[in-house]
Amino acid sequence: MRRTGFVDAVDALGGHDHVSWVFDDPADYHTVVDRFLADGRVAGQRVLSLLREEADGPIDPAEQLRFWADATERALADGYTGLRVAADSTRLVATPEGRAAFGRYEFMIDAYMARHPLSGLCGFNRAELGDAAVAELAGMHPLAQPAATPLRLFATAEPGVAAVLAGEIDPAGHEQLRAALRRIELDPVGGAVTIDARELTFIDHRALMQLVGHVRGLGAATVLRVGRHSAVPRLADLLQLRDLRAVVS
Amino acid sequence: MRSGPAAGHDGILHEAGFYGSDEEFLALVLPFLRDGVAAGEPTVSLFGPHNQSLVRDALGRDSGVTFIDGGRHYLRPAVAIRRHREMLAGYVAEGAAQIRIAGDVPHPGTGVPWEWWARYEAAANEVYDEFPMYGLCPYDTRTAPPEVLEDVRRTHTHLVTAGGDRVTSPGYRPPREFLAGAVRPWTDPLEALPPAVELTGPSLVRARNAVEALQPIAALDIDELQGLLLGVTEAVTNAIRHGHAPVRLRAWAEPGRVLVTVGDRGPGPADPAAGLIAAGGPGGLGLWLTYQLCAYVSLRHGPEGFTIRLIAENPAP
Repeated sequence: MRRTGFVDAVDALGGHDHVSWVFDDPADYHTVVDRFLADGRVAGQRVLSLLREEADGPIDPAEQLRFWADATERALADGYTGLRVAADSTRLVATPEGRAAFGRYEFMIDAYMARHPLSGLCGFNRAELGDAAVAELAGMHPLAQPAATPLRLFATAEPGVAAVLAGEIDPAGHEQLRAALRRIELDPVGGAVTIDARELTFIDHRALMQLVGHVRGLGAATVLRVGRHSAVPRLADLLQLRDLRAVVS
Repeated sequence: MRSGPAAGHDGILHEAGFYGSDEEFLALVLPFLRDGVAAGEPTVSLFGPHNQSLVRDALGRDSGVTFIDGGRHYLRPAVAIRRHREMLAGYVAEGAAQIRIAGDVPHPGTGVPWEWWARYEAAANEVYDEFPMYGLCPYDTRTAPPEVLEDVRRTHTHLVTAGGDRVTSPGYRPPREFLAGAVRPWTDPLEALPPAVELTGPSLVRARNAVEALQPIAALDIDELQGLLLGVTEAVTNAIRHGHAPVRLRAWAEPGRVLVTVGDRGPGPADPAAGLIAAGGPGGLGLWLTYQLCAYVSLRHGPEGFTIRLIAENPAP
């Protein structure tokens, strides 16, 4: 079972965990990476640190995914329990195109991590990228610092669930939600896209309509799994969103 | 073909009547209901427990009148409007030529502030006007304060007496004219105390966190809290987007209750019916949701700017 949530430290993360780490000072980042990798060694994982990833243009998400899937398989073949990678990806996401490609990759690699023994820490330098850009990227991780992003959209290994949406979404996060939705594949099952929103603590009506409208654009209805205290069922009722079903679980 | 006084009339016919006894109440209401049933029209009795039982006893069983619990229906004006409109649309879809609804609207005499119900009575002339509705609003002169009775005369096109006389209300004002000036503001006793929270230019998340931090005192039910947090988000969003800085949030709490005001230097929504119906105007849908989800909402326009006040309150046990 991998962890999801807002975190202030990377201690004791497991073999499927995927955490973003936003930093202002590279020295702080290196301390965090050391801890992350030390835990991996103790757990018998092969560990790698990519200090400063560089590329000429936007990455190719599918190619990157294949690369890390192969590397994970090799680690297993070499007798490790899995692969653990820490990477400072700041240089790959300095442009909007770079962020769009990397955001797509984040969701794809996250889905892979959820099912295979690959764990990762993605570092982003806020001093270079700015608040909005780091929020876009941190928000594609199951684990992120609370100050980095208000919302998170990420993958899950649970059958039939297309994605997990967590955190708080209000008008300050609408643009981030829009960008995140554009970057992920939500595959309808039986005419519906199921999203696990049990860790979504707040969503305003515009964001809810935006989400349902996005799924409608895929020709599907939205099923939102929500917690028992969620306001989503009442909002759905008041807004008469007929292609949204809120399931309390 | 519409029966009774509304024959040949388009849209809502909105009557008020005044009574000072149970007998006068029944003399007002029974002919209204009986004539509706006799004409084959959907006929609804929407009163609190005492008046509802008077009507039930007088009409006997199988009267053909539909009884709806007025206490729940008239909880919040925007909720009443939404339920009324759904009901009216349903009857029209079934072919009704007219729908009769008699109901008592809350006021200070029944323990509820009048301000937003005055707005409701005025807006009723507009928000039900697309339906062939014939409404009768009886007011109890023993409990309704004089300013309520005055507003009732100004928000209903016709007045009826227990004797059956029917006159055009001389004080009637078109809804927008009434709403633009006539609604008396009221101050909650909590507002006389120093606020527990005072923020200038808060972000949305900071505004929500500050209000949620009052939970140890207020202990609001989860639905009330969620409704308030949505309302606060809308109020601050509207103030940032449509108002003029600085945006000020103040909040007070007592057990079972939280009051929040959000003010800015702008003019506030231009539409006097803002919030009562889910339509038009910048931020209109959000304001309407706020009216649905908060226990009390009021809008104040003043020389200093615009202030929206939201109250969340646990239901009486």
